[in-house]
Amino acid sequence: MRNLFRIYLEKPELAGVALLVVLAALFEARSGGAFLSGDNLRGILGLLPEVGLVSIGVTVLMICGEFDLSVGSTFALTPMATSLLIIAGVPTRAAILLGLLLAAAIGFANGFITLTFAIPSFIATLGMLFIVRSLTVVISGGFPPLLPDDLATGEFTQFVGPGGLFRTSFIWFLAIAFAASALIANSNVGNWIKATGGHLEAAEAMGVPVRRVKLFCFMLCSVMAGFGGIIQVFRLHSPLPSIGDGLELQAVAAAVIGGTALSGGVGTVLGAVVGALLIRVIDNGLVMTQVDANWFKFAVGALTIFAVVSNTWLRRTARRIKVAG
Amino acid sequence: MVKRTIALQVLGGVGAAALSFALASPAAAEEKLNIVFTHHSSASNPFWQAVKKGFDDACGKIQANCQMVFTQTEGSVDQEVANQQAALARKPDALITTLVDNNAFVANLKDAKAKGVIVIASNVDATEGPELELRQAFVGQNFIPAGTTLGRRMAALFPKEGPIRVLVGVNAPGQNWSEQRAKGIMNGLEEFKKANPGREITIDRLDVSAEGAIVSDRVGAYLSAHPDTTAYIETGLWHSNVARMLKDRNIPPGKILLGGFDLAPQVMEQLKAGYIQVEIDQQPYEQGFLPVMQVYLEKKIGLAPADIDSGEAVFTPEQADQLMDLAKQGVR
Repeated sequence: MRNLFRIYLEKPELAGVALLVVLAALFEARSGGAFLSGDNLRGILGLLPEVGLVSIGVTVLMICGEFDLSVGSTFALTPMATSLLIIAGVPTRAAILLGLLLAAAIGFANGFITLTFAIPSFIATLGMLFIVRSLTVVISGGFPPLLPDDLATGEFTQFVGPGGLFRTSFIWFLAIAFAASALIANSNVGNWIKATGGHLEAAEAMGVPVRRVKLFCFMLCSVMAGFGGIIQVFRLHSPLPSIGDGLELQAVAAAVIGGTALSGGVGTVLGAVVGALLIRVIDNGLVMTQVDANWFKFAVGALTIFAVVSNTWLRRTARRIKVAG
Repeated sequence: MVKRTIALQVLGGVGAAALSFALASPAAAEEKLNIVFTHHSSASNPFWQAVKKGFDDACGKIQANCQMVFTQTEGSVDQEVANQQAALARKPDALITTLVDNNAFVANLKDAKAKGVIVIASNVDATEGPELELRQAFVGQNFIPAGTTLGRRMAALFPKEGPIRVLVGVNAPGQNWSEQRAKGIMNGLEEFKKANPGREITIDRLDVSAEGAIVSDRVGAYLSAHPDTTAYIETGLWHSNVARMLKDRNIPPGKILLGGFDLAPQVMEQLKAGYIQVEIDQQPYEQGFLPVMQVYLEKKIGLAPADIDSGEAVFTPEQADQLMDLAKQGVR
């Protein structure tokens, strides 16, 4: 038992994995074997990259000690801009790049306002949430523009793998998750991010360029959200101005479930991935197991609290055992 | 020690609850029809509770195993797509769904067709494109004519002289149901404009959102800027919040005419109070009830589902009392 707790302390995201296994078993039993069917897994894995990418960005920013509440709006504006560029005749890849540049600019604005005026990022990005959502409606004129029927989006949405189990977006997601994980765990920049979020004064005293580190994290977070949005719009083939509404809270929940500290300095990309997967599994599992519609949100909320409480309890117990040992 | 006992008890409780949850499989009877209803609305929208009641009652009558899946965010198309996907993975006998976008549901409907799942659109249909070919029937309101009726009936109540200013509230810009109703309302108002060429008539369109509090805020701001407004007509049922705001501002019933769609208890209350003059009903109970019956007829007898117009009944304050009785039964 003690060893298990010790392993947990080294890899806090493993609690999320354990919970995932328990929930999967539960949903599988209750859905009469449909939950783990290829069909349903295809659905879960097809949607995961969109929320997953946002969660990775939010997690990295939270490790750096900041929040971004505007990710849901960036998730909508980026693909809206990309779609309008495509409709205007800009080649798809160039339109995607321009869209992501716009997302980076939003991230820069978030960071610049937060750092220059020394206000909480919670407030700066809350303002940006409204501004960016409004811009999405303004540039679309309120109506979803029509993407060309023959638009080639296969490199993001096509089904691949054994039995067409994944979409290509999943490969993008894995590659980005690995790169982000390596960045946080094995690079100087990663150490700077953790130091900036964990002990800001100490990091400054050590010569870490904290302002630039934070700006980088804000921009990374927005670009991730924008890319997630582009993938969703390509999947739905419809650039809706309303997508991503409420996504910011889901992304924070995913980060926290995955073991990221709200106070900054602690967290992993794997944790974010596990957290996002857990949220998707809960959402999907509750539909599969026919939870009454009026109780649906209650169940999502209760399971989310349960996930975080058990994670916190495990962490505290593991620390106590470590201290005692 | 006490702490540990409590922790063990909590864990034991959670474990027992989880076990009972896992064992209480809903798929008890093999013969029952499995029917899923997915749509774009959240559980807090009163209109959809009437649809749900119709759906549940119909399912009870044919002993079907049914599930209605709400979205967590009001009007979220991507959540509806995800819910459809999860529902289809269970290979139900039928999928009843709203088609609020012309492209977003194509992949899921193709999947449903490949699996032999009956698909019936209810409440909102696609306006064009492949979704119309992939669903077998539509049960609901024909939005443009319904909007035109509302526009005409409201225009009939306008003052006979002086300038006219009308605000048309679009609750969900870009979504089929809201855009088509708005288009219909505009048609009705344009007819009035053409019939009265000498009069100064201003018609404004505003994105008022689909949240009661926001709707009343935005319309309130418009009315502050234009106190001479003759009427507010919207594509949904949130004008009951506008009525409440007018009451708070001590504006008497009938000074600013209100009209909209659907009958929720809050709307009927304001209809009775005289703040709302015209309301168009689309019989939500039928939209939940009839698709289930169509599925039953196709599965058991082989009769193909067919389009049903659930109506554009016009209601005025005189009928409010009778409507309240139906509301108490949850069917209006």
